[in-house]
Amino acid sequence: MAAGADGVVSLLSRLADRIRRDRRLKTILFLSPGLITLAVFFFLPFVVSLLLSFDMLVRERVGNTFVWILSLQPNLEYYIKFFTSPGTSVSIMQSLYYASFTTIGTLLISFPMAYYMAFKLDRRRKNFVLFLIFLPFWVNFIIRVYAIRFLFHPDGIVSTTLMALGITDGPISIIGTDAAVLITMVYSYLIFMLLPIYGVVEKINKELIEAAYTLGATPFKTLVKVTLPLAKPGIIAGSLLVFIPAMGEFIIPIIVGGGKSYPIGRLIFDQFIKVSGIQGWALGSAAAMVYVGLIVIATYLYFRFVGREVTLI
Amino acid sequence: MSSRRDFLRVAVAGAAGLALGVGAGYMARQGEVDSLNERIRELASRAGVELEEEFNFYNWTWYANLELIDQWARENGIRLTIDHYESNDELVATLELGTVSYDLVVPSASYIPSLIEKGLIQKIDLDKIPNVEYIPENFMGREWDPDNEYTVIYSYGTTAIAYNEDKLGGDEITSWGDLFDVDNPDSIIRRHAGKVTMLEESIEVMDAAAIYLGYPIDTMDENQLQDIADLLIAQKPYLYGYASTEAIMENLPTGSLFYISQAWNGDIAGIIYESSETEVLMGIANPQIKYVVPEEGAVAWFDNFAIPANAKNIENAHAFINWFLDPVISAIHTMTVKYPFPAGIKYVPEILRNDPTIFVPESLYDKLYWTMLTPELEELWQRYWQQVQTA
Amino acid sequence: MKVVDTLLKIFFWTVMVLIYVPIAVMVAFSFNASRSKVVFEGFSLENYISLFSNERVWGSFYNSIWTALIVVVVSLILGILMAYGVTRYRPRGSTILDSLIMVPIIIPEIVEAVTLALFLSIVGIPLSPFTIIIGHVAFDAPLAYLILKARFQGWNREYEEAAMTLGADEIRTFVKVTIPLMMPAVLAAAFLTFIWSYDDFIKTFFTRPTGFDTLPVYIWTRVARGRVELDINALSTIIVLVAMIFTYLRMKLEEKQSTI
Repeated sequence: MAAGADGVVSLLSRLADRIRRDRRLKTILFLSPGLITLAVFFFLPFVVSLLLSFDMLVRERVGNTFVWILSLQPNLEYYIKFFTSPGTSVSIMQSLYYASFTTIGTLLISFPMAYYMAFKLDRRRKNFVLFLIFLPFWVNFIIRVYAIRFLFHPDGIVSTTLMALGITDGPISIIGTDAAVLITMVYSYLIFMLLPIYGVVEKINKELIEAAYTLGATPFKTLVKVTLPLAKPGIIAGSLLVFIPAMGEFIIPIIVGGGKSYPIGRLIFDQFIKVSGIQGWALGSAAAMVYVGLIVIATYLYFRFVGREVTLI
Repeated sequence: MSSRRDFLRVAVAGAAGLALGVGAGYMARQGEVDSLNERIRELASRAGVELEEEFNFYNWTWYANLELIDQWARENGIRLTIDHYESNDELVATLELGTVSYDLVVPSASYIPSLIEKGLIQKIDLDKIPNVEYIPENFMGREWDPDNEYTVIYSYGTTAIAYNEDKLGGDEITSWGDLFDVDNPDSIIRRHAGKVTMLEESIEVMDAAAIYLGYPIDTMDENQLQDIADLLIAQKPYLYGYASTEAIMENLPTGSLFYISQAWNGDIAGIIYESSETEVLMGIANPQIKYVVPEEGAVAWFDNFAIPANAKNIENAHAFINWFLDPVISAIHTMTVKYPFPAGIKYVPEILRNDPTIFVPESLYDKLYWTMLTPELEELWQRYWQQVQTA
Repeated sequence: MKVVDTLLKIFFWTVMVLIYVPIAVMVAFSFNASRSKVVFEGFSLENYISLFSNERVWGSFYNSIWTALIVVVVSLILGILMAYGVTRYRPRGSTILDSLIMVPIIIPEIVEAVTLALFLSIVGIPLSPFTIIIGHVAFDAPLAYLILKARFQGWNREYEEAAMTLGADEIRTFVKVTIPLMMPAVLAAAFLTFIWSYDDFIKTFFTRPTGFDTLPVYIWTRVARGRVELDINALSTIIVLVAMIFTYLRMKLEEKQSTI
């Protein structure tokens, strides 16, 4: 018994010794748990979808169960269907419009806010304000969107207030319009822009800006030449964090937009769920692959022309 | 037999009356209500077969008295799980994926032939469900399952037009033309522009347009489909939007956002009458809401009990169907959610039984259309729907 | 300058107020006596009373919390290991590796959800709370990685080196020096991954087993058929209140520590 235990201990300590000395082994030990998880539960599913979209996975029924067979003849049928469907491009444009507006809108609001928080508040106030910004996020996304919907309802507070102030004669309905969708999206994604920008602006050395002033730069020039370039990594991170989910957003248009628009996220969801069975899966997969391609290209171009340094918090 | 039935009729109504309080006109003696409760308990525990420990029921939301089902499960010592779906698409997708297993589901008839063909639902043993005898004949052996090998009727109804009378200013809605005739500036849709909704379900919207145009509602003719899409695109600017049941329930009673909606009858009955998911309520909450089946006709839908191929607790599924089909139980479910459950029609109070919003009157039967969906049709229709949505 | 500062201040606080308007509406309507979510018709605690007997709401809330907590722990462990591995050892092809780890962040969620659901179906893995968690981790681990990597890159190795020259081995150094130094970034990552997981609807919707609701899924299924009861508002109000108390206590505690 004792000898066995000794054996195990010495084996372990030898192993530990090897690990300590072998850099490559250490790297593998640190990286493999995460990489394996991602490989199995992210990349493999992705490959499965890719195969489905090219009609390379075929389902066959054997008795009461189904077996999947890999076919090595790729087929572009589902991609052709996707591109020839009426409205596909409109749907993509609609999403681009929502996502661009949301990104620019949140950026225009976030930057002055982050600037104010970083430079005009002391440490205690900063913490308090951060707390105030985070607090609404404990309320579920759908509930928040619903609250906005009731706000914009013709019987809701905005409409009744405007009526009481005599600004409008009758009840006005903001929900059901694109404006409602855009306002709600900016509201919902604001924090994803604000936090990364605040993260970098907060680290900017105040003396640097003061130095710019003493050297005679105007506030505007300081902003453009000093503050903005220093804030760039945060702006990049924020833009990605807002643009990508906003591109796929389809719940907000349903809840506050009257369901009249048809963003790409909704299209994929519908292809997948409304056309039953493997056909729908393949159609949805093809749409998803094209969409991912677009996002990857957009991200690449963005990195290429705006910069690659990303900083989160 | 018949005297017992008569007694039950009074007693069921009595239970409703008590829930309502005085003034509803359904008061019955306490003793009768007690014996009704006795009967509900007795029915719940009288399965008569060996039951499994679990029962997983996948149903539409707001579609049964959950308290009553809970009681049934408790009396039989069954661990009950009820999940909800919002569309047939969601149900079919769940069955296709096969990664979860339910013991009982409620698909609409249009989807049943393809579910059978794909082997996603299994045969039902009618011998284990003696209460099918209470189902009126015209709900048995229908086109989607001629020998009731796989399915048994759950509920049924129509997809037509609901509106808030107070907001219409004396206008009357009688036809789909009132919602589609956008070229005529005097039409309802033009005069009430922005106050009209169609359903979110693409198939229902396209069916309505097909009926208006006089096309078959399972058309695969691309010229006809293009006409349907064009009509819907022309209609779109005059709509508030495509509304979920949720939006309709919330907004139709006040009518400030919109007041004319394509809708399912049972949901509208649930607005007109007080309704609940747990208790019998019989008051009229919104008498200003009306529901009309247009003169061109409308889609009829039939939801059916079906047992998925990968169900694990098959005995429980049969026992549950049998329990649900008991006339008293069915009647209580109807009085709760205001959807018609055919087996219980005789025991439902007259006011509900004679309401065309709940029980479709026989005079309408030949104006109702029913269709079978195939993946090919769904795919083709989805293409045209996409055209409408992105217009 | 003064004018700009004042304008900035007004702008900032206006936005802050606007952020809170919907929350205020939600809180106010949690006390509404009628079922209407649009018109306030008098004060009542009815929604709170019905909330306490609504087992399904509490069940789904509980599910949301415990799955999110596991997601946070797993994502942090994987994220820390990967971030440390990539920045410290710089294995060959580390830029490619870095990009690969970040792919899940730029892929739209609906695509991740659909592909994962199809994969699970094809491989034949039955859905369970585990599939929800793993689905969240596939997004949250890269998110944690991204945040932590930034911290690893930007910092001074001197402390670690000092510890090692003082005789601590690498593992001890990692646990005793590296991890405490990372704490602010770890907390930030923990918070973001928690919020993401707690609020996620789409992925959970595609990977949940029978009878298993998280709060967002429960709310959505209620909402979709017109029965958002105001007890959800009551629950949200309570959650906000609890979050407020917790954060207040934490801030007090921090203040005390910093004065010591």
